[in-house]
Amino acid sequence: MPENAPVWAIVVLPVALAVAAVVTAGFDAVLSGAAGRGHAGGIRRAGRRAATPVREALRLLVQQPRRTTAADRLLGRLGVVLVPVAAVLAGAVLPWGFRAVSDPSVGVVWFNAMEALAWAAVWLAGWGPNSALSLISGYRFLAQGLAYELPHMFALTTAALGAESLRVGDVVAAQEGVWFVVWMPVAFAAYLLSALAMAFWGPFAHPLARDAAGGAAAELAGVDRLVFLGGRWLLLVVTAGFSVPLFLGGGHGPLLPGWAWTLLKTAAVLALLVILRRALPVLRMERYMEAAWMVLVPLTLLQALFVAVVVLNR
Amino acid sequence: MDLRAFLRRTAMSRPAVLVVTLPGATRLRLEVEAELRRREWPVVGAPAAADLLVVCGDPAAQGAWPEWLDDIERSMPEPAARAVMGESARVGGALDAGRGEVTGRAVAPRGDGGRHEDRAAPSGDGHHRPADHAEHMDHAEHMDHHASHMDHQDHSPGGHMDHTGHMDHAGHDMHAMADIAGLPMAERADDRDELRLDRLHVPIGPGLTDWPTGLILRLALQGDVVQGVEVDHLPVPPAHRPPFWDEPWLRAARGEEVTRGGAARRRCAAHLDSAGRLLAVVGWDDVAAPFRRLRDELLAGASRTEVAGEVHRTVRRVGRSRVLRWSIAGLGRLPADTARAAGVSGPALAATGDAYDRLLMWLGEIERGLEVLDDTRPLAPDDRTGPRGRLDGPRPPSQALLDVLPDLLTGVEFACARIVVASLDPDLDELALAPVTGAAHA
Repeated sequence: MPENAPVWAIVVLPVALAVAAVVTAGFDAVLSGAAGRGHAGGIRRAGRRAATPVREALRLLVQQPRRTTAADRLLGRLGVVLVPVAAVLAGAVLPWGFRAVSDPSVGVVWFNAMEALAWAAVWLAGWGPNSALSLISGYRFLAQGLAYELPHMFALTTAALGAESLRVGDVVAAQEGVWFVVWMPVAFAAYLLSALAMAFWGPFAHPLARDAAGGAAAELAGVDRLVFLGGRWLLLVVTAGFSVPLFLGGGHGPLLPGWAWTLLKTAAVLALLVILRRALPVLRMERYMEAAWMVLVPLTLLQALFVAVVVLNR
Repeated sequence: MDLRAFLRRTAMSRPAVLVVTLPGATRLRLEVEAELRRREWPVVGAPAAADLLVVCGDPAAQGAWPEWLDDIERSMPEPAARAVMGESARVGGALDAGRGEVTGRAVAPRGDGGRHEDRAAPSGDGHHRPADHAEHMDHAEHMDHHASHMDHQDHSPGGHMDHTGHMDHAGHDMHAMADIAGLPMAERADDRDELRLDRLHVPIGPGLTDWPTGLILRLALQGDVVQGVEVDHLPVPPAHRPPFWDEPWLRAARGEEVTRGGAARRRCAAHLDSAGRLLAVVGWDDVAAPFRRLRDELLAGASRTEVAGEVHRTVRRVGRSRVLRWSIAGLGRLPADTARAAGVSGPALAATGDAYDRLLMWLGEIERGLEVLDDTRPLAPDDRTGPRGRLDGPRPPSQALLDVLPDLLTGVEFACARIVVASLDPDLDELALAPVTGAAHA
């Protein structure tokens, strides 16, 4: 049965998430470099490209933060800081193998609640600097939230329904035989899409898009920018990582110990997302909203119905 | 060994660059973009993210000193520096000098404390630049600065060459008009459903990335819906060279020997540049970046066999993307008769459709152009169809593209407006063209 991790895991968690975020961002930088500048053509050059996130972080630490006139500094800062905080708090219920920092009886709800903080975070960061483009982009994220949140919640509900529990540990335990992804493929796909949307990354980066000069992050400099954009990578790692206990059997797997399976599966999901992202432009929410509500919501509802019928008859 | 100095220098060894291009400097822009790509320096889209402001072109040729450049630099976080690319062939050296300045300031911050606090808050103190604030609620973006200063030509143009001494703006105090921190509130007007809503005047350009060089749009925004557009641009100085993208056709018209292959090469590169911009605006960097690399390889004289494979591959990838089509189809619809009435020629007329059709038209012309890349026959002197349209018309083709902008942009959302502009990609260098075309017949 799942149990809580020792106390020191509280300290390890943010560090581990940060390492995973840096590795993911490094992988992304290698692929971007190949697209923009041709293949690295050497392990050294590829290594230098992989180190881009670290170098960028150092650069942003040296850069001074800045202020804009009549800015709402309190709320703007709050928005910036909330992004990594939400990611780490959501990560608290993420099981490593079979142990999470905390495994409350409503773990799935906790996870969703922490993600919802991202709504506030991006909007506040867009509102803070008193600048038209960043405010427009803050509102873009609210539209994005409306589009992704319903399919996302139905996907979460489906997994919880399959396990007949909101405890993440129970969801993992219920997949000892068959992984949920096998009989809930639609929920899994909807979850992955919304994971990207929640991390406002890749095809869902509209709130930070180039067409608005960087969107909600347009006025952020120095350490503010680092915390906000770094927090975004943390969110991506956490939301992608949570698909492992929900749908991919958590720590279950042959031969290797649970934590290794968790690590492998998380890495596979992240790699998949980073690679697939290259095939897509940024989606405008005006268009995605139609698809989300007309296609994804009915599909995820049907998926939930199917799972409910199976659970009732077993 | 001072570890802090070492770290600071390392951090700024690849400064983040914001590239601003002035009209007439397309060639320089391409050189700078190629050089930055070779150096793998990050290229950013906003002053807040930048360490080094790279100006392509000669600011002094703008008539009055472009103060919006100073404003962009002032809204960059410390350590900030500017590098002006005046001449081609010196791009590398100027970038090195710019980086030197950035690292120097990073290691020894100006005045340590008070001074850089001041600079980090470009408009944070009320008396700094109140002239801007009187007009726009949001002065924080670089897009605004230009327009506000266009209206304030009473600043002595030469007085701002020294961009570190800006305290002299205190004389322009206009607090009387201000409501909050020197800024006026938004006015109100009826929106498209006749609801009275806040209306905000936001000028965008010319400092945006992936944006037609020198273009300024004065938008009246309600929420993110564009309610009114005024098209403006930076002064386009009369050039002693023809516009870069139209060069082969204009030179052939003057009787110089230009090969068909050379002209096709320029047309392909122009469309790769335009398509790269559009794809960057829609947020698909993974194909925008190769388009730019291929553009530079073509301009550097790569042979057909070297580039054709990758061009076809990338073009096919874009053409096959249903998501891209779904995302931009229907934006900026320009029917043939409207286009013809406005004097549009070239791909925008031939596409007779929306932003997606225009993109496909560019892609088609790129692929067709590749076929004749090695054609050494001379270009027919009466062939005057440049990448953006007929160069022998009464007005330059890009002027017609600018003329259709207000109708296409009114009523669309901000995000769509950027896509529509990028799908037309007017080249403002052509505005200096009118007399040249006339003289070409002589």
